Amino acid sequence: MPIEASPGGGTLRGESTLSTLEIKNLHAKIEDKEILRGVNLTINQGEVHAMMGVNGSGKSTLAYILMGHPAYEVTEGDILLDGESVLEMEPDERAHKGLFLAFQYPTAIPGVNVANFLRLSANAVQKARFQEANPDAEYKAPPVAEFRKRLVEKMGVLKMDRSFMARYLNEGFSGGEKKRMEILQMAMLEPKFAIMDETDSGLDIDALRIVAEGVNAQLGPGLGVLVITHYQRLLEYIKPQFVHVMINGRIVADGGPELAKELDVKGYDWVRAEFAPEEAPVAAETPALARASLGVKQSLTGRQ
Amino acid sequence: MDTTLTRPAEAPQMRGFSREAVEALSRAKGEPDWALEARLAAWEIYDNTPLPTQRDEAWRRTSLRALKLDDVRPFGATRGLARSLDEIPAAVRAGLEEGGEGGRDLRASFEASGTTPRAGLLLQHNSSVLYHTLNEDVAAQGVIFTGLDEAVRDHPELVQRYFMTGAVPPTHDKFAALHGAFWSGGTFIYVPRNCAVELPLQSRVYADADAPAVFAHTLIVAEEGAEVVFIDEFVSPTGEGQGFSDGAVEIYTGQGAQVRYFSVQDWGRHVYHFNTQRVVAERDSTTRSLSILLGSKLTKSNVESALDGPGATSEMLGIYFGDGTQHFDQHTLQDHLKPNTTSDLLFKGVLRDRARQVFAGLIRVEPGAQKTDAYQANRNLLLSDKARVDSMPKLEIGANDVRCTHGATMGQVDRDQLFYLSSRGLERSEAERLIVEGFLDEIIQRIPLEEVRDRLHAAIQQKMGLPAREGDEG
Repeated sequence: MPIEASPGGGTLRGESTLSTLEIKNLHAKIEDKEILRGVNLTINQGEVHAMMGVNGSGKSTLAYILMGHPAYEVTEGDILLDGESVLEMEPDERAHKGLFLAFQYPTAIPGVNVANFLRLSANAVQKARFQEANPDAEYKAPPVAEFRKRLVEKMGVLKMDRSFMARYLNEGFSGGEKKRMEILQMAMLEPKFAIMDETDSGLDIDALRIVAEGVNAQLGPGLGVLVITHYQRLLEYIKPQFVHVMINGRIVADGGPELAKELDVKGYDWVRAEFAPEEAPVAAETPALARASLGVKQSLTGRQ
Repeated sequence: MDTTLTRPAEAPQMRGFSREAVEALSRAKGEPDWALEARLAAWEIYDNTPLPTQRDEAWRRTSLRALKLDDVRPFGATRGLARSLDEIPAAVRAGLEEGGEGGRDLRASFEASGTTPRAGLLLQHNSSVLYHTLNEDVAAQGVIFTGLDEAVRDHPELVQRYFMTGAVPPTHDKFAALHGAFWSGGTFIYVPRNCAVELPLQSRVYADADAPAVFAHTLIVAEEGAEVVFIDEFVSPTGEGQGFSDGAVEIYTGQGAQVRYFSVQDWGRHVYHFNTQRVVAERDSTTRSLSILLGSKLTKSNVESALDGPGATSEMLGIYFGDGTQHFDQHTLQDHLKPNTTSDLLFKGVLRDRARQVFAGLIRVEPGAQKTDAYQANRNLLLSDKARVDSMPKLEIGANDVRCTHGATMGQVDRDQLFYLSSRGLERSEAERLIVEGFLDEIIQRIPLEEVRDRLHAAIQQKMGLPAREGDEG
């Protein structure tokens, strides 16, 4: 089945300089509870993927594990960034390598000034990347004025007032302010792959639009995105080329944007009945659309 | 101000505390009889008070068994004032003479009045004050800023009226009594009625690693409507043997007066430090103190405010950061003696390694002190499993129309905060530092002096084992 690919994602795929994030047969648990049960997904730089699923399906766990949250244990499988496993890397190292997680619930850090934090963070990431590329050269942080200029510019895109800079990180922020702060950090850190965990949750329509514009301004051949969401709503603003549905720790369906729309109309019970009957003991009517299954996933998305 | 008070005396060879040592010290200083008599009276109290043991409630969690009082040299050579800063050892004046923004060159800044970041500076080396200076315009208003030894000679009536008579009498406890017998050096500040000293005054007591006992005393008298800011700093390098410090801080905030007091204690890790600080706050006055505790091997301190006039307010802030095997035992007292008084205490600290902190905070409301408003909080952040905190807030309330709240918390670094920061590319140590600084920020933000803030940031950096770095953006 052919996939509608956007010009950005489609045309650049296959170029040798592009990065790839591969999730291979990933199993993971927290304490003794198995949450991921064999996730396979490949994202190329330049592509936008959506991961849909009900609460508790494991999609936020996947986001945490990609970034290296210490509470989860990977029991099987691997996460490869350009062929290199990131499983043994600390979260900061993963950030240096180009991974970014926009949190569903960004943590408030009392007493930590936003501007100060952003500069430390951007410098840490830039320094690591510079040294990776120039092992023998000495890194020099850009002047504060230059940093400020860049920050103010990115804040403008997200319609964030300058007063944000003097606030404590995420403390007392509204839901919309928190999400904008996440997207601002993403813009400042220039990742290769961004995982956006329920970025739409808690946002009214205006805030959603601003946040989506902030993300769209960053899209391009250098950025691969995994948008994690429960609802189709966000996908009207951030348009994915690939849509995946997760149920009980597995991706059970893959498709293009139309899968998200189908899901929106027919609901998750339909997906469960259609693609993962073993997860849904309650019998459901078989719908007409049945073009994806566990067995044909790789060929469906057309990636190796 | 270059009058030499006394001739350089031989460094005494005696060890341990005795009546003879008290007399020898007073003689070396050439003190008047009344001063010697006060010392001897304090000595009698000391001599008749048993050394506290862990059976005493206030000492239950602090053992003095390893302290060898008989080994302590009770005082060192008595020296007079230096003629200029150049005669003062570089370590004593490090960071205070020049450099930094705002022109910290003392000679230039004090001679060209109005441009200096501080109105006066006093330097004490071991037992002796070596240097003090005060902006001429400030001095012309009747402000006194001098060493206590000189004050005994030059302002006996003020010293006799205030020195260890009300705020910290020798009867306070055994170490206050010892202090009364052996006090040496120290700072005397007197601000006359309705006089506002806008720029801060600052003292530094510097002790060598092998210094004899240090008995620094701070006496601040702010008369009605007066205003003053004072920074009191205690610092020494870490030495091999046993260091000993026994200090007292007395602050009289007169009617409607405003006093801000900052202390930074950064003694070497071989020093046993005992200290009692007490504010006597008169009607409608405001006193704000901040105690920063970084150094010493063992610190046992009392931080007290007596709210002795209606409308008096006292803010009592504390920051401490213990590492290694440091042992801090801080007792605080919010003593509401009169109605309509307010006290606001917040002590926040960080402990790592095997450091130990004891906090015992008491709000005491005397019968009749109606409409008291007292707040007390002690918050702790533990950076290791082996660090330990005991926090004991207490209330003794003798009036029925009061508002008193207290609470204590302790916790480890939040794992979600660490994950969040490290997901942004920050190394664990850097993420921890940010969390620690953030934890202390609500107090750091209340410090109006950049120099003190910088000092604290540098200390945090060093305590966390991180290399010194350039200033943050803020």
